[in-house]
Amino acid sequence: MSTQIEVRKVVKSFERGGQTLRVLDALDLQIEEGSFDALMGPSGSGKSTLLNLIAGLDRPTSGEVIVAGASLGQMSEAAQATWRSRTLGFIFQSYNLIPVLTAQENVELPLLLTNLSSAERKRRSETALRVVGLEQRMGHLPRMLSGGQEQRVAIARAIVNDPAVIVADEPTGDLDRQSADDILTLLQKLNTELGKTILMVTHDPMAAERAKTVHRLDKGRLA
Amino acid sequence: MIPVRYNLRSLVVRKATTAATSLGIALVVFVLAASMMLVSGIDRTLGAAGRADNAIVLRRGSDAELNSIIDVQKVGLVAAAPGVATAGGGPAVAGEIVVVATMNKVGGEGFTNVLIRGVTERSASLRGALTVVEGRAPSPGADEVMIGKQIRGRFPGVDLGQSFELKKNRAVKVVGVFTDGGSSHESEVWGDVELIRSSFGRAGVVSGVRVRLTSPAAFDAFKQSVEGDKNLGFEALRETAFLEKQSEGLRAFVTALGASIAFFFSVGAMIGAMITMYASIANRRREIGTLRALGFPRWQILLSFLIESITLALAGGALGAGAATALKLVSFSMMNFSTWSEMVFTFQPTPGILGGAMAFAGVMGLVGGFFPALAAARTSPVVAMKG
Ligand SMILES: Nc1ncnc2c1ncn2[C@@H]1O[C@H](COP(=O)(O)OP(=O)(O)O)[C@@H](O)[C@H]1O
Ligand SMILES: [Mg+2]
Repeated sequence: MSTQIEVRKVVKSFERGGQTLRVLDALDLQIEEGSFDALMGPSGSGKSTLLNLIAGLDRPTSGEVIVAGASLGQMSEAAQATWRSRTLGFIFQSYNLIPVLTAQENVELPLLLTNLSSAERKRRSETALRVVGLEQRMGHLPRMLSGGQEQRVAIARAIVNDPAVIVADEPTGDLDRQSADDILTLLQKLNTELGKTILMVTHDPMAAERAKTVHRLDKGRLA
Repeated sequence: MIPVRYNLRSLVVRKATTAATSLGIALVVFVLAASMMLVSGIDRTLGAAGRADNAIVLRRGSDAELNSIIDVQKVGLVAAAPGVATAGGGPAVAGEIVVVATMNKVGGEGFTNVLIRGVTERSASLRGALTVVEGRAPSPGADEVMIGKQIRGRFPGVDLGQSFELKKNRAVKVVGVFTDGGSSHESEVWGDVELIRSSFGRAGVVSGVRVRLTSPAAFDAFKQSVEGDKNLGFEALRETAFLEKQSEGLRAFVTALGASIAFFFSVGAMIGAMITMYASIANRRREIGTLRALGFPRWQILLSFLIESITLALAGGALGAGAATALKLVSFSMMNFSTWSEMVFTFQPTPGILGGAMAFAGVMGLVGGFFPALAAARTSPVVAMKG
């Protein structure tokens, strides 16, 4: 097993009202390939901030982030975007589906950045929707779906480009218990059956229970 | 690439603002296309009727027939000049007199000037397309006139078989209606030159002389000869150039008016498009952040929103151009400054005008949408993560 995510001495501070807020303070984290890790911590402890750094959405004030063999600090903004499209799958708390696109079109989005043919894109997005059990809902717009179904579409979108790593920020935060359980079962399946490395931010202990490893963030460091 | 249907559907979802914004653009395109169509109608009425192998002789210094006076005796000198064609056993020239008569409009909505032309039996054949479409040409010596199609029925008695007063106590009968390929003659009354002269007290003079030349190339020699004797005070013009000059003022007026209205409206419409796009993008910040997180580069976001605002503008443009095209069915009368008489114009749509108006709409979309699209492209992908 090799290291898939490595965070070294990362500091992240925000300037706010003339004050410097040090959210992450020389934080270290290692996640093995094929692992399913949960990141817990009180609200405002910097979980999303850390996830953004690992996902290449934001840059650390200092320190290094290496994901799937790539050192993110070395990359230009455009290179990071390309890297994200090839390496990462994103799952958001509020699903973030494009409201005017159908389930299938939403899932197809990441493939529009590849040079796959339109037939192949369609085939793959349909396969991904089948994995999440929504092959009957391909032509539905997000507003015609339940929250749980929307999140499953979002998961299909996160796996359609066969990423090495999936990052999820509070994926069950907006869902009822039953839907949340379904989503967590699905994530576990992606981890065990498809071998995806998953990093999930959550403050729900029942969600964290499903992960193989749980990290706790407190006062800018992992406890 | 971000699919265009994303932009199309986003526009459709925001029906009300999309419609309001494209209506603003439609208005600009309508004004722009309508004024260009009117200019093209003016060209058709005033300019296009000229022939390259026709010339007109006026008194030097008078731009228009209306303020030109030439002695009848001197018409023979023009006819004798080199390059004049012959027709029907004589020189193809016609000394014509042009006067303006004030007439009441039908329905009592005030009065206006109508151009009256005293013609010879050669006058009609010197025009390219003059055809009597109803009735007949007036007989010389009789108190008869024929009228252009466009003024038929616009003034009391000015219709086939009816009579009206050219001047007080000078009633004439309308015996014919003519067309002339849409030219300004269609807004004139034609009568025998003697009749018009005596009615308006212009004995012994004509306004100008129309001449058919043997060929367009014969003009230079003709001009040299006619203008050679400075004592005669003649000026010879090609008919095409003369008609172009006649339409210059009106053309410039309509162009300037149309362009300035379109310009001011377009500033408003572009600001409207900009506000709409800014608002729409502000509402879609999370969507855009998500696209950025998924890896769509900034330039694709920029392009996508430019396409959206250009589409919005083109929809308005199509509406405006379509409405302007409907003006084809409308004809309206306007004072022609060079003759001080009323003339009927039509709107002439051409593919060039409609294409140009659509292109202008596209440019409005591009300019109005640029800064909002730039703002969208600058959206941070972190936005996608914010709960
Ligand atoms: N862009 C930012 N500017 C200023 N402060 C920020 C910014 N992003 C996050 N923070 C602050 O950093 C802290 C951690 O935020 P976050 O990572 O979202 O916490 P969590 O996800 O654990 O609830 C909070 O105090 C938050 O207000
Ligand atoms: Mg958070």
